[in-house]
Amino acid sequence: MATAPKNRFSQDERRRNADHVSFLKHKKFRWLWIALLLCIVSGLGYVMIDQEPRPNGGTWYGYTLGTIGVGLIVWLSLLGIRKRKMTTGQWSLKAWTSAHVYLGLALIVVGTLHTGFQIGWNVHTLAYVLMLIVIITGIYGVIVYATLPSTLSSNRKELTRAQMLEALTALDRQLESAAQPLDRDKSDAVISALGQNVFYGGALARLTGAYPGCATKRALKNFPEHDGSDGAEERVRSLLTKRADQLAQIRRHLRIRALLEVWLFIHIPATIALLAALLAHVVSVFYYW
Amino acid sequence: MAFLIRTIDFTAAGREIVRDRTLDQNEVSIGRATENDIHLPDLAVEQRHVRLKDVGGGMLAIESVGGLGFGIDGRTETSVEIDPNIGAELSLGSSRLAISRDGDEPVQIVIKQVEKDEGAGDALAGFALASALPSKRIMAWTFTALILVLLLSVPIFTHLTRSPVENDPENLAQGQVAFDSTWSAGDLSMAHHDLEDNCEACHAAPFVSVQDETCLTCHEELGDHAEMPRLAEGMAPLSTGDSIQWQIAETLGKEGPLGCVSCHSEHEGQVVLEAASEQFCSDCHNELDTRLSNAAFGNASDFGKKHPQFRPQFYTAHFDEEPTRVSLDQTVNEMSGLIFPHDIHMAENGGAARMAMSLGEYGGPLECSNCHEEEEDGVGFAPVEMEAACESCHSLVFDRDGPNFRSLRHGDVDDLMADLATMDRGPRTAVVSGRNRPGHFARGGAYYSNFGRPMSAYIAINRALEPTGVCGECHIPTSTNGRRDLTPVNLPDRFLMGGYFDHAAHGDEVAECTDCHATETSDAATDLLIPNLESCRDCHLGETAAKTEEITPSSCAMCHGYHTPTMPWRPDDHPDLPGNGGNDSVAAILSSLRR
Repeated sequence: MATAPKNRFSQDERRRNADHVSFLKHKKFRWLWIALLLCIVSGLGYVMIDQEPRPNGGTWYGYTLGTIGVGLIVWLSLLGIRKRKMTTGQWSLKAWTSAHVYLGLALIVVGTLHTGFQIGWNVHTLAYVLMLIVIITGIYGVIVYATLPSTLSSNRKELTRAQMLEALTALDRQLESAAQPLDRDKSDAVISALGQNVFYGGALARLTGAYPGCATKRALKNFPEHDGSDGAEERVRSLLTKRADQLAQIRRHLRIRALLEVWLFIHIPATIALLAALLAHVVSVFYYW
Repeated sequence: MAFLIRTIDFTAAGREIVRDRTLDQNEVSIGRATENDIHLPDLAVEQRHVRLKDVGGGMLAIESVGGLGFGIDGRTETSVEIDPNIGAELSLGSSRLAISRDGDEPVQIVIKQVEKDEGAGDALAGFALASALPSKRIMAWTFTALILVLLLSVPIFTHLTRSPVENDPENLAQGQVAFDSTWSAGDLSMAHHDLEDNCEACHAAPFVSVQDETCLTCHEELGDHAEMPRLAEGMAPLSTGDSIQWQIAETLGKEGPLGCVSCHSEHEGQVVLEAASEQFCSDCHNELDTRLSNAAFGNASDFGKKHPQFRPQFYTAHFDEEPTRVSLDQTVNEMSGLIFPHDIHMAENGGAARMAMSLGEYGGPLECSNCHEEEEDGVGFAPVEMEAACESCHSLVFDRDGPNFRSLRHGDVDDLMADLATMDRGPRTAVVSGRNRPGHFARGGAYYSNFGRPMSAYIAINRALEPTGVCGECHIPTSTNGRRDLTPVNLPDRFLMGGYFDHAAHGDEVAECTDCHATETSDAATDLLIPNLESCRDCHLGETAAKTEEITPSSCAMCHGYHTPTMPWRPDDHPDLPGNGGNDSVAAILSSLRR
């Protein structure tokens, strides 16, 4: 058939486009427009519909927004299940992720209008605040996923993670033998540097890149530069400097990884907590109707 | 440059075997082929893999021969220069070649075989943030469990297992349900503030909306606006959205748009009950006659534009038992049974004024307040008492009793008759006064006592009850069963029954009495001096009217109450707090424009 190759081309072109377009730009921002439309419609409804005695979650419009909101939240949280089943086509994972991001953003408007701007220390506001935390961490996640991976690869300098560790091990082996002629306290400094776990430091240290208890840095203070020391000390000093540099590279990697991943440690637990708070919110509202 | 090659191997028992050899040359080749200076029997190593070369200045160049990279300090390179004095570790396959030099001694190359690191995969896991934080799953389940237990299960369980208490406004009970304050969507209004920790006082049954009967356990004396079926009949049709919501809500047990809570919504913060808006009333009253054909009152939507004429109640005929409500649009004659021309009393230079000026207690022309005394609540006026208000001028003195004067008792014709019958028959003057000559007694030389019939008293009684007599000055004579009598005075306690007028709010600075009550031109007591609708509109227009020096925008609630039609809606305290209504959102404005 004469038209077959042409069809094939456009089909392939579609697939190529689909493969290389970010989920944010998926289908020419289709879900962004849908989300914007949802925001505008909700906002107009809020402004145009007279809610007696004042707008809140208990008016008919409030219930409508609440129903939309709860539906969105449940669907958005299903991404965790959906992403484990990859498919293509109309509801590809990319389409799903695109909708997840933009509808999640629209939820700020829908949820806030549902509150009627009534905030308090109660289970209802808890659900709202959890929702905001989930959305804000999600926004953070999109931003870091868009910006940080390039710094991650530039920091690697063509080293894999295993090679970074291997480099450190190599330095450690050299330090071990280079430190043989040293006296007691200098040897102890080297031992403490070698003994400290490469992943020493908690989540906060990873996120900030500040390791005040770094043993390598402390050991280096025992080997001042150009103090006329003998060759062994000079060698240990330069090896420790190399070790510190290698550690710094690993820690930069850890920092970027931590910045890339930290939002999920809030996003996911907060989502599950939000589902629980939502259940408590809905049940309590109708229990004490 | 010399190289010291030291090979370290391990026996099966773990013992080290160290072999040293020295190569005195500037270049060392490393590879799998046996002709290399350093021969590494490892398939991962090329036949001729790497060349070490002295490049002068103590530096050593390491270059790949076949183009395949080598490991140097963990990195993979194909060409690198190192300082042996600092040292480096060359990695080829499973061999590690530690290169070092001590001063001018030969470059030492120590060759060791390393085991493949079994733990490498585990070590890589350390790069993930998960190794430094609690697991997402544990955090998620912890939060979920806390929320579901504390914020859902505990309140439900304690609500279901409580022993219900009858509400008593005088002695409010403590709430028994734990943690249900976390369910409160907002503070209660000031009136219900004491119920803040007693949710079940209103939320009695689970999944049942707050019922009117629960409200009425405390508010039992509160009046209905109208009987329920009429209220429902007169109600304005609901908007589509509202009607759908109420259909759903009523299916689920809500009491409909006429239930207490549909107007008195709670949990809106610490607000005070605020007067309903004009819109709230006009929703139903604007076209009420289209739904209620037999309403006793006209439609109303805006005091300035659509409000029925006042219909005060008063006595329209003498001897009526009950007052009648008559519209001020008709010609009205009040038959109070009194004769009282206001104009004569109010004139500033008539006889009444002259008389008042001559009396110490007035000291000037008469003013309204000389006779009409405001009640303490500032709303109404006390009934006029003849003795206090009129008697200074309209004396009831009829006789003299020694140094004192005797006054007629006022209020009952029988009393009047009894008093007048004693006229001139009271304690007489002294039988002997001064120095009378013997034989002279009282007037005319007669003995004083007159034991005959008191003719003069009867004449006085008849005269008093005649139109020109002392009673006839203010009262209309009549006869009852052939006996002279006076027409009973019929004045209602209150004229306007469907609304409310606050005299205090119209005090001296706002208006004079005569601005509203046409006393100066009224020459007969039959004039009803209640101002009509039009005269109120001189100052009061509807809620939406623009406020000016003269015009006060006035909503329905200024004169009418919903539950208490004859009482105003009045805030009792907390004047600083925001009200519960006052929806001035764009939506409310648009909605009022649509209507």
